[in-house]
Amino acid sequence: MNEENLFRLRVEYVKQGRLRYLGHLELIHTVERIVRRAQLPYAVTQGFSPHMKIAFSSALPVGTASDCEWYDVFLTAYVPAPRALEALAAASPADLAPRRAGYVDRRAAALTAALTRARYRAVLALEEGAPSDEGRARDALVALCAADGIPYLRGKKTKTMSLARTLVSAELVARDALTWELALDTRSSAEGALRPEVLIRAWEKALAAANGGAAPRDAVAAVLAEPLAVAPYGIFAHCEIARISQNIEDKRGILVEPLPLGA
Amino acid sequence: MRPAYEDLFHLIEPLLPQVEKPSRYIDHEWGVLAKREARFRVCLMYPDTYEVGLPNQGIAILYRVLNAQEGISCERGYLPWTDMADKMRAAGVPLLSLEGAAPVRAFDVLGMHVPHEMAATNYLEAFDLAGIPQLSADRGEDDPIVIAGGPSVYNPEPLAPFIDAFLIGEGEEHIVEVCRELERSRDARLPRRERLALLARIPGTYVPALYDVAFDAETAPHGFAVPKEGSAAPGIVYKRVAADFAATDPLAQSVVPYAELVHDRLSIEVLRGCARGCRFCQAGITYRPVRERSADQVVAAVARGLERTGYDEVSLTSLSTTDHSQCERMLDRLNERLADTGISVSIPSQRLDSFDVEMAEAVAGGKKGGLTFAVEAGSQRLRDVINKNVTEEDLDRAMRAAFEAGWRRAKLYFMMGLPTETDDDIRGIARLADHVIDLAQEVVPKSQRGSVSVSVSVSVFVPKAHTPFQWEGQLDRDEVKRRQQLLIHSVRHRNVRVHYHDADVSLLEAVLSRGGRDIAPLIQEAWARGARFDAWTEHFDLGTWRAAAEACGIDLDQVACAPYRIGQRLPWEHTSPGVSQGYLEREYRRACDAQTTPDCTRASCTGCGICPTLGVENKIMEVRR
Ligand code: SF4
Repeated sequence: MNEENLFRLRVEYVKQGRLRYLGHLELIHTVERIVRRAQLPYAVTQGFSPHMKIAFSSALPVGTASDCEWYDVFLTAYVPAPRALEALAAASPADLAPRRAGYVDRRAAALTAALTRARYRAVLALEEGAPSDEGRARDALVALCAADGIPYLRGKKTKTMSLARTLVSAELVARDALTWELALDTRSSAEGALRPEVLIRAWEKALAAANGGAAPRDAVAAVLAEPLAVAPYGIFAHCEIARISQNIEDKRGILVEPLPLGA
Repeated sequence: MRPAYEDLFHLIEPLLPQVEKPSRYIDHEWGVLAKREARFRVCLMYPDTYEVGLPNQGIAILYRVLNAQEGISCERGYLPWTDMADKMRAAGVPLLSLEGAAPVRAFDVLGMHVPHEMAATNYLEAFDLAGIPQLSADRGEDDPIVIAGGPSVYNPEPLAPFIDAFLIGEGEEHIVEVCRELERSRDARLPRRERLALLARIPGTYVPALYDVAFDAETAPHGFAVPKEGSAAPGIVYKRVAADFAATDPLAQSVVPYAELVHDRLSIEVLRGCARGCRFCQAGITYRPVRERSADQVVAAVARGLERTGYDEVSLTSLSTTDHSQCERMLDRLNERLADTGISVSIPSQRLDSFDVEMAEAVAGGKKGGLTFAVEAGSQRLRDVINKNVTEEDLDRAMRAAFEAGWRRAKLYFMMGLPTETDDDIRGIARLADHVIDLAQEVVPKSQRGSVSVSVSVSVFVPKAHTPFQWEGQLDRDEVKRRQQLLIHSVRHRNVRVHYHDADVSLLEAVLSRGGRDIAPLIQEAWARGARFDAWTEHFDLGTWRAAAEACGIDLDQVACAPYRIGQRLPWEHTSPGVSQGYLEREYRRACDAQTTPDCTRASCTGCGICPTLGVENKIMEVRR
């Protein structure tokens, strides 16, 4: 197959509902099956075990929802984008429905490299009866965001998630007495990306300490002093995280859509 | 009170982030057929995890058949892995069906698949999680009717007290009749006992509560089952056979899972039954007669199935796919059709006699991993005893061709403890393995010889009901250990690796295969002591079973190893695949004389009795090679 005769179809899709619990590999295989069910003329790689030429945007943590996931699939024949979108929609479960499809330059950078900016929204339901002083929470958040990074446990290993490199901004809004909303703007690079659930867990742990009487700053310092473990800290009853946008950042720092309008 | 049929997903959702592989529990897969509204609800359950159970073709067939019925909705169920089961118990969440996330206890019928003997404790675990009494006798009007069926129901006695009705044989027509009868008797508000008695009138249905276990002088402790006085239950329940296999839809599968499975692919059953007549093989008897689908039907079904599912692999399944009279043509046509799609065709394990490298290449598509051969026994004499019609020349020819075509690894399967086995037969295993290495030295270019390896995998023979070896006992443990040592010390080449299938597992498998209803309390006791997922090596612990056996006054080794006398009453004789006792006895005697018996799809009928007894016949597309 001559590479030059291929067409690069870029598709945006959602990951929501129960299907947000799919792991990245499960997701990849499911999308490949969707493409085959949609009967699109997908290209395959050469070699002993040929497989579909398809590439995905960066993995979403298991449990996190999104309405802006992307993949590029290479086709051997041109299919009008609206027709491709329709075929994909008919072959997809609703919780992985495609939203947009269009063609991009065959030589454009890979999605994982190009989509460096992502925004997340976390809806946090406060544990009933847990003291929820918004001001204190804000102080703790500010203190935490000023840190260089957060040490945390992944399995038995200690890792450090950089904040200096990955966090652009964090903003807290109280929707009502029991519901907070946290908006995160992040920037990823080859060195890694921000994991919203780690930031939220660290913040929750600091809040638990602050509620116990510690000053927010000291509480944050204590949290950063040892690797963070997976444990309920008694502040949030539920935490629903969603990725709400992914963008390309151009040289001037302007955010660009992965699929230009009219593509 | 029977719980309401309602969606309780919100009760397990908070547990999902805390467990391994949450995709096991989320449903919403592509191709789900269950209906929201229905007058009659069935939950078909596989007694193991989602990944193990989902590919099961038997459930796929029945799922499709039942959901095609007006007014009936069929959902699936799987056993939650131990992490989830423990969390569900702690949170007070009952066992739920997959599609509707409804309590399993809210269904009209719970259908248990019986894949093999080692699932015994998992049924009890499922009942317990569901809040359904484990013993049929303890269940009330609000509990579902628990039916069971599948490949391993030909000695149902060890499970008899736990199951309301066994469906023996092929279920595609049978299960519909059973469900319709249960719907009628439910709507007529008949009591449970009467409803079960009505089921016993449907051919192929074994209702254990209608039978007593009788004993005579030589049948203790297992006994044999006879219909209770005054019950209309049949003395022998014969298996059901799908009237016209080729007329059934070859495309059973509809659900495409999200979770990564071991066998994650489209399966098309190209043929049912195998008449090669290996004397140790239960499936070889219980799946008769042999019925092939046409190549046209298979090719069309593959195309339709790939379109429907989006899989990138299709497997042509059966007990012996290369026996299909049109196998080669089928593979050629499929490979041609699927060229440049990245979709591959596979067939289950190769056999030596009908194996040729072309066929192997046709399915390998350039991938040359290990080739697997079931040789079963180390000498021609013993292979004649078990009627495994494979010669050393067959092995030679196949291995030579495989090495020439580029394969470097071979896995040879053997059994230990076969009837009449001697030390010479054990040394023969080592000799064969060494011989394969010698062969490779001849064929394989010098530079690649280092990568040649042969692995020998040896399991302990488990005598199975309704086979010519059903009267045999299992080889005792000390002798197994001695022969294992003998084998290891007989191997010359360093690149031969010997693996043993866990003898503890085989021992329990023999107990559950050969025992009678007296084994049921042992299963319950073992479950109570924590046994579950016994088919998983990391969970299986013979110690638990030994302790349970002691508490029940059962001697595991005795049950596994004591032979039955030809002519004595057997615990499984009342559930029959249609094979005649005379044939099994004759085969047993021929085995002892090392006399082979031909395949009735290649020679004439050899008189196993199944065709005349069940009113069926072999249906082959063309003359078999
Ligand atoms: S009755 Fe004869 S033809 Fe039928 S399966 Fe048995 S041996 Fe084969």
